Amino acid sequence: MTRRACGLVLILAVTFAALFAPLLTAYAPTQTGVFFLAPPDAAHWFGTDDLGRDVLSRVLHGGRASLVIGVGAAFVACVIGVPAGLLAGYCGGRVDLWATQVMNLCIALPGLVLALLITAVTGPSVLNIVLILGFVSWPRVARLVRGQAFLIREALFVEAARAAGADAVWIVPMHILPNVAGVIAAQFALTVAYAIFTSSSLSFLGLGIPPPSPDWGGMVRTGLDYLSINPAMGLAPSAAVGITVLGFYLLGSGTRG
Amino acid sequence: MLAILARRLVWAIPGGIVITALLFASLAGLIGSPAALMLGRDATAQSIAELNARLGFDRPIATQYLDWMGHALRGDLGRSYVTHQSVVEAVLPRLPVTLEIGLLALVLATIAAIVLNSLTGARALIRPLATLLAVIGITLPNFVLGLGLIYLLCVTLEWLPSVGWSAWSNGVPDHATHILLPVLTLSAYYYGSLTLVFRAEYDAVARRLFIRAVKAKGLSDQQVSWRHTMPNALLPVITTIGLSMGQLVGGAVVTESLFSIPGIGSLLVDSILSRDYPVVLAIGMIVVFSVVIANAAADALYAAANPQVRIR
Repeated sequence: MTRRACGLVLILAVTFAALFAPLLTAYAPTQTGVFFLAPPDAAHWFGTDDLGRDVLSRVLHGGRASLVIGVGAAFVACVIGVPAGLLAGYCGGRVDLWATQVMNLCIALPGLVLALLITAVTGPSVLNIVLILGFVSWPRVARLVRGQAFLIREALFVEAARAAGADAVWIVPMHILPNVAGVIAAQFALTVAYAIFTSSSLSFLGLGIPPPSPDWGGMVRTGLDYLSINPAMGLAPSAAVGITVLGFYLLGSGTRG
Repeated sequence: MLAILARRLVWAIPGGIVITALLFASLAGLIGSPAALMLGRDATAQSIAELNARLGFDRPIATQYLDWMGHALRGDLGRSYVTHQSVVEAVLPRLPVTLEIGLLALVLATIAAIVLNSLTGARALIRPLATLLAVIGITLPNFVLGLGLIYLLCVTLEWLPSVGWSAWSNGVPDHATHILLPVLTLSAYYYGSLTLVFRAEYDAVARRLFIRAVKAKGLSDQQVSWRHTMPNALLPVITTIGLSMGQLVGGAVVTESLFSIPGIGSLLVDSILSRDYPVVLAIGMIVVFSVVIANAAADALYAAANPQVRIR
């Protein structure tokens, strides 16, 4: 419970900062200036970057893309993973056997490398990254939902529904899905954490949303070169990634129990 | 044990072939015409078609895949589009670097996860600390953790030299100081996931009757933990190590890029960014095969240690 509360507080703080970014800073995230690489002071709390842009403003605005990508990817993952998991878990037998094999195979593959390959070819736009990360993370959702559906399928009330003449088209959405909803919600939060984790790694490697839009991973990459001049340039977006992923992780892992 | 592993590997082969074929086809499909990439923007449609024909890229994907596989089995992975160097020569010298960092990180993470969670003295202090470290390891992407470590240890405290790589030939101390941070960074995620798995099992074992029995015989808490609880909780750790091979590869890609280490992870990123198709393909295949083999090994180990598991 406390875990979940901590996570929720962190997520609300990040969302608030991203949503009201223009009101919280006096500078536009893409507005360049002559005082480049200035260390933190009263006017620029995190100093300025190599093009004289305000680092604080870029960190706050960068949260928007990260949140959209995280939530969007988790949504895509659930849209594919939940029906797949329900189907495999409810049908059982041969369908389940094959589905489980495919899921395990996909989970074993390195998601980051897969996303890297696809992004390099399709080009990094927000929509592309959402779709790619959703595609990379659906097997985890599916495997979890499958396990739950498999258990609930054997429950007495499902047997009763079956005895009363209900078929799969009725039982799955009316009896199985509501009982898996809690697990899906938790997994949704964990998938958001994973998607932000992976997308920031992608942009750190040079495949993020194209500049000049602020993007945490890309900012860390540039900040790395100026670590001894203005450390905040790399440390601030790093902390932002860490806080956001931590928030969603705490929310998701706290809900599961 | 060996028989189980052999059977698992045989079963893994179709999976490996399917994935590599998919990888090959999707790369070829996504990239489109390799000749257009090689010749650049000013190439005419005719010269592109000619080069595609000369290099065999106008054939069906299945033929190309079989051809590639045939050459690969004979140790020929083609030439890089960018450096025109043989792919084998580009990849092989970098493999030991990645293996060294990956193995050291794995060993460090495994030992840390097992030892920290098996200590019984001052448990009220150590357990929360171990949990905190695990959550940090799981939630902080490698580049965030690495950057923090670089800032703290290289820039502020100046204890370690800055990023870069120093081979064994430059002397052991130099090598060790350069490898320390990458290994720490890479091991963090593993430490986190192994801690979660190991602790759940450890606590379950600790509640069992035989533990109570050895306690009643007069063993100290720490002796019970080392000799009885910990060894019986190791199985899921072994499986997790095998199953999270993919995660290790992803971590190695980011870590090597961050620390400018000449391993196959950084080569993969560079090749992807410069669309060096043969190199990407070669490393992709290495990754797929190591993941498949690691999974099969994990399955086999699990089955060998637990005879109740049915082997199909």
